[in-house]
Amino acid sequence: MERKNFLKSLLLGAVSAPVLISSACNKDEELVEPGTSAGSGTGSGSSGCTVAPTETAGPFPTKSPASYMRSDITDGRTGYKMTAKITIGNINNACAGLANAIVDIWHCDAQGNYSEYGGTGMQATNYQSVHFLRGRQVTDANGLVTFTTIFPGWYTGRATHIHVHVYNASGTSLKITQIAFPEGAGSAVAAVNGYSKGLSGYTYNSRDNVFSDDTAGIQIATVTGDTSNGFELAIQLNVAA
Amino acid sequence: MPTRVITFCYRKVIDATATTPWEKLVFDDSYQEFKMQAQYYNQENKYGSFAELLQHSPGAERLHFLVSAAVTAYVQQLNGIVPDILNSVGRHFLKFNNYRFEIINSDVLDKTKHQVAINFVSDPMHWHDTLGQLLLISAEPDNGTEVLTELVPLQPYFTIYSLQTKAIC
Repeated sequence: MERKNFLKSLLLGAVSAPVLISSACNKDEELVEPGTSAGSGTGSGSSGCTVAPTETAGPFPTKSPASYMRSDITDGRTGYKMTAKITIGNINNACAGLANAIVDIWHCDAQGNYSEYGGTGMQATNYQSVHFLRGRQVTDANGLVTFTTIFPGWYTGRATHIHVHVYNASGTSLKITQIAFPEGAGSAVAAVNGYSKGLSGYTYNSRDNVFSDDTAGIQIATVTGDTSNGFELAIQLNVAA
Repeated sequence: MPTRVITFCYRKVIDATATTPWEKLVFDDSYQEFKMQAQYYNQENKYGSFAELLQHSPGAERLHFLVSAAVTAYVQQLNGIVPDILNSVGRHFLKFNNYRFEIINSDVLDKTKHQVAINFVSDPMHWHDTLGQLLLISAEPDNGTEVLTELVPLQPYFTIYSLQTKAIC
């Protein structure tokens, strides 16, 4: 429901309304319909064909990565700072760090909303910051990627989580998974306390439809830190590469 | 007297016939991103085309949004000027802030099927008159002082996207 409202607000706010003086006029208005003045429709000399560009060439495009490619994925979203250190290991090499893997992560903001715009209409949006809290990094020689983000909020039906999609260097999917968070006294989940929402109605890992089968806790990251200094998340995810 | 404020939408379609460097970059990079992101909605590798993904895989319509990140930088390189749309003296003039990327067709196995569009929505313009196929428009309202105008021809894939009639005293 919250996500639906969020989408609606995006759609409503997508196209900036023209700013005009809209005070009422006291005098009688002469109603003139644009496009009906005498002489229109005749002798314009243009009938569907357009002139070729006649101007200086440029700008010249440069090859650019997807806007996901950055370490800091915060994009102005407010929340407790969190550094996420994710190591990708290779099951086929004794879980040693896998270099040059592409790692996508995405998660919701403090209110529990993902960056998305949807619907089938023709709504346009400004291109600034529409992909907030989504990022991509390439693993270093030790298989490590590091993201700077905020501690995720939560939404109804799910425990706190981060989505991860791991690809090989050529973009072929190796693993789609999610990272879970430790719970209980002293945990970051308890410290953040769902931001302004609290934790009433929160879905804990044991009842979560994704994490409940993870009785060994291998999807649960190590999370240290506190709300004043920020949190640090660390986990190793092993894939077959 | 009332004045009409309009915004235009130009739907720029880009496919395997792309010729300019900008179009080729958008084509290549959006296809690469489509192939990567589509795997999330195709985990059993059952589908090839975007249409199949839309029909069978819940949430696949998010691919429009997810793939759009591949073209964000290229849209920014346009510096806020709508491409291709020229005024009657052959200059690009139409400004935009908003756009929407869409995948029209694609196929993870066949790049030639890849076809996308970027819908550029212009900043508001005042529409004063229509001269044949030409619209007489200006960025500023006509308040009785001289305003500079543009003549823009109607053309394929170019439409009036929104209209608002406002009273100007």
